[in-house]
Amino acid sequence: MNGAAAQGGSEKLVEAEDLRRRYGEGEAAVDALAGVTVAFPAGRFAAIMGPSGSGKSTLMHILAGLDRPTSGTVRIGGVELTELADRELTQLRRDRIGFIFQTFNLLPVLNGEENILLPLSIAGRKPDREWFDRLIDTVGIRDRLSHRPAELSGGQQQRVAVARALITRPTVVFADEPSGNLDSKASNDVLELLRHAVDDFGQTVVMVTHDAHAASFADRLLVLADGRIVHDGESLSSEHALDLMKSVG
Amino acid sequence: MLSLVLRGFMQRKLRVLLTGIAIALGVALMAGTYILTDTINKSFAGIFNVANRGHDVVITPRQSLGRNTRSKTSPVTDQILAQVRATPGVAEAAGSIFTPGSFLDVHGKRLTVGGAPAFIGSEVPKRFESFTVAHGRFATNANEVAIDEATANRNNLKLGEKMVVAGSAPARDYTIVGILRFGGGQSFGGAGAAILTLPEAQRVLALPGHFDQIDVAAESNPAHPVSASVLRERIRAVLPATVDVRTGVQQAAKDTSDLESNLSFIRTFLLVFAYVALVVGAFIIFNTFSITVAQRTREFGLLRTLGGSRRQIMQSVVYEGLLLGVGGAVLGLLGGLVLAPALNALFKAFGADLPHNGTVLETRTIVVSLLVGIVVTLLAGLPPALRATRVPPLAAMREGVEIPPRPLPSRRALIARTVGLLLVCVLLGLAAGGGVVLVLLLLAWAWWLGKTLLRVRRGGGPPHYRLVPALAQVIGVLVTWRGVTGQLARENSIRQPGRTLITAGALTVGLALVAFVAVLADGTKATINRAVSRSFAGDLIIENSQEGNREQGIPALLAPTVRQVSGVASVTPVAFTVGRLPGSSSNATITAIDPATFERVYRVEWKQGSNATLLGLGNEGVVLTKGYAESKHLKLGQTISMLTPAEKHVSLTVRGIASDNARLLGNLTITLALARASFGQRDDALDFVSYAPGATNAQVQPAVNRLLAAAFPQARSRTAAQFKQDQANQINTLLALIYVLLALSVIVSLFGIVNTLILSIYERTRELGMMRAIGTSRRQVRQMIRYESVITALIGGVFGLVIGVVGAVLVTSLTLSGSGYVQSIPVGTLAILLVVAAVAGLLAAQLPARRAARLDMLQALMSE
Repeated sequence: MNGAAAQGGSEKLVEAEDLRRRYGEGEAAVDALAGVTVAFPAGRFAAIMGPSGSGKSTLMHILAGLDRPTSGTVRIGGVELTELADRELTQLRRDRIGFIFQTFNLLPVLNGEENILLPLSIAGRKPDREWFDRLIDTVGIRDRLSHRPAELSGGQQQRVAVARALITRPTVVFADEPSGNLDSKASNDVLELLRHAVDDFGQTVVMVTHDAHAASFADRLLVLADGRIVHDGESLSSEHALDLMKSVG
Repeated sequence: MLSLVLRGFMQRKLRVLLTGIAIALGVALMAGTYILTDTINKSFAGIFNVANRGHDVVITPRQSLGRNTRSKTSPVTDQILAQVRATPGVAEAAGSIFTPGSFLDVHGKRLTVGGAPAFIGSEVPKRFESFTVAHGRFATNANEVAIDEATANRNNLKLGEKMVVAGSAPARDYTIVGILRFGGGQSFGGAGAAILTLPEAQRVLALPGHFDQIDVAAESNPAHPVSASVLRERIRAVLPATVDVRTGVQQAAKDTSDLESNLSFIRTFLLVFAYVALVVGAFIIFNTFSITVAQRTREFGLLRTLGGSRRQIMQSVVYEGLLLGVGGAVLGLLGGLVLAPALNALFKAFGADLPHNGTVLETRTIVVSLLVGIVVTLLAGLPPALRATRVPPLAAMREGVEIPPRPLPSRRALIARTVGLLLVCVLLGLAAGGGVVLVLLLLAWAWWLGKTLLRVRRGGGPPHYRLVPALAQVIGVLVTWRGVTGQLARENSIRQPGRTLITAGALTVGLALVAFVAVLADGTKATINRAVSRSFAGDLIIENSQEGNREQGIPALLAPTVRQVSGVASVTPVAFTVGRLPGSSSNATITAIDPATFERVYRVEWKQGSNATLLGLGNEGVVLTKGYAESKHLKLGQTISMLTPAEKHVSLTVRGIASDNARLLGNLTITLALARASFGQRDDALDFVSYAPGATNAQVQPAVNRLLAAAFPQARSRTAAQFKQDQANQINTLLALIYVLLALSVIVSLFGIVNTLILSIYERTRELGMMRAIGTSRRQVRQMIRYESVITALIGGVFGLVIGVVGAVLVTSLTLSGSGYVQSIPVGTLAILLVVAAVAGLLAAQLPARRAARLDMLQALMSE
């Protein structure tokens, strides 16, 4: 971690306590999360790994206010999510959270620039031009701004998506398998970008992935299995992470 | 395959329901029309059966020129009655009167509503009487009247009260001594009957010694029974050819069939709207099937990979259409049962109250409704089904494989197809009786041509409809200022221009017709206004005050009476009659005028001849309108023979040719004297009044009105301005009726918009999920869908208005050029139509918008 990240300090931006999430009822009930307590401090890059069905996606969805826990609490920047109504939750996602999806999820009818500015447009806010310029240079898509997603490569689309997630300077960016649909070159580019956002902009990033190589870009590695955190520590090299995964899988 | 289709249906209940309703509404209007008109016909048949019960033989005036020539002196006279009575085998014969007149209360208010007829009748001997006394008794002297129960109830008239009966003599009042019920208690519709004594009825109608009908009962001596048909033969042998002699059974059948053909226009009129709704429904089915086929590309690809044949793919789609067609048609048929009384209520609200006893559901109604519903659905689903067969097996493997477009045919083939389609449309249209059907088919053809041209310009690639994006850009301004939701709505609306075009097209059909009719009506009003201003030189027009008063004239006595009012310089009666050229099957319209005074009140646009020609017409001269002379190749000086309503043949020499934009002059113009002498014309249609120099309307019109109220309460006076307003009101009433009926098509097209939106939202599930995730509120999602719907609806609206206006202008300038038709575009009405389209779009978006806003975000994000 370099100096630029220090501006976030070690303040805990995202906190979850004893999160439980149960799907279904009775005998068929499945506990996707069986009591997860975790905190993400500002300006750090965390990776959440785990085998299929470990609950890693569910955890991210609940942390991001997309899903509600069966019990437990989530706080983002001090705001208790589980007590918010849909409208307030929407507002919170709009202002405080950035999203990066595996499938990019750009709007095909908007061009690159419009897609990046979409969160601001939705909020009815004027973009900060300086920030916008800095962002597009960082992600390197200045010459692709007027293109629609159909005219962009997967890597370019995901870079637009990263810029979209950062444009509102969110409290935290959640990335769901951001490199899952990309070839290794594009994948590295996007992961470098996230790393860069944390290091240079002090952005807080939480990434869910099943790819040990992707996880190696993070500062911290969390491993989930059967709805519980089974590992929480410094990031590991891909090989070590793989071994760890094998042991829990 | 069928079970697969059924399972698919169960998974898409809402869409199946919406699509089914789209076809069901058209079928419902069709079934409702048949049910209503069958019911009305059956009711009339019942009425006529009762009316002719106990009549072995019936003698009526011969009406070679059809039933609508009533205003004539009946050839059935006392003398004929005497001849009938003298015929062996006749037990009893009685003459009677049953002629339309006017009933009013003592304050001059009409007792019948709308255009419903009021019959003045005379009592007949017991065995012929179809009325029974409910309260009181029949009239026994000239001061008494018995009236039908419905009229009495509607106006709250009681025994002992007074009412006015107006015919051809000056009106007077009568004391009500009886309330009558028509045999069997059947509804008479809105019609009324007032039964006077025979001499009084004859006096009121200025028909002393004449009857409308003679009823005959045969001798019932068991020793020498005389059958009705034998008696008919005997009577026929002694009576002149100016009367018809029928058995009671024949007469009832004749009355029924006459009436059916008179009312057949109602069926045709309503069916046109049913066809329009069906065309719109077909659009929706085509569109829905096209979209679902596109969405199921992968599924079809999989079926193909697993070894499914093209035929099986096609079958699965066609079965879906078949099921939908059957469901929609059955639903429509049931809807027809509900709609029939609603249609009747609608007609009643617009002044046409026809009898309807029970509900008649003929087998024909069931068969035709089901067949039409199913066939339309199948035909509309066929192109998408064919398209589905072109899905390559590869589609199962890869995302985003599209169905390859059909290769564009060669230019020559395209031109041949275009011309061929045009011919088919024109021939079909003409076969269906031209008119609206023809216009509809031509519109469909123009639509096809437009689509093809757009495709040709793109050079064979996938059809890309340039007009839609361009229009959406313009219309989008309405919503894009609202921010990103508006912008996204606009972009989404043009994502699939073809789909938007067809969705909007369903609305276009209805709105184009509304615009077409609105422009036509506005032009007609303008034409009437100008024609009245140009041609009418008098000060007042006197006419019957009953709505739709073309049939109901005013007494001939009225003109000489009004002439006595101080300030009146002249009164010019005008009468309308008909005649028939030998060998022709249709009637020529004839206007009868008073040559001495006509030029004072009316400006004739002479082509050949002058006002002096009128003075020289005499009993054998005729003036033709230019159009009629041209169509019959008649020239000045030629002599023609005319069969008159009085069953006489008259020779007429063409003395002049005129054009008449006001359409007062019929095909032929003759003198009133000739009309009275040879055409049996009794009443007049209109009286034109001109004032003496110095007399003002403020003095004269009230004086005329006082006279009318006292002696001829069925008539009213109108200034030229009032007359124009009356005409405009009549057109507006018809217009309103047409709007109500076209509204059904617009409603059908709304279902199409709903359907397309729901399907599009389904396609964009993941996008919506993402938008919600990054902070789009539910309200914004709803807004976006609504805006998209409004844009689509407005695209349909703009196309509809353009097609309707251009169509109306084209049709009128092609068919009415030279007739003095004045083009007029009702800008206000058209603007309102656009607003209606936008509101319709908003309405259609309600359900889809709510569904989109309620999408489960997580599932949406994870959906494919």
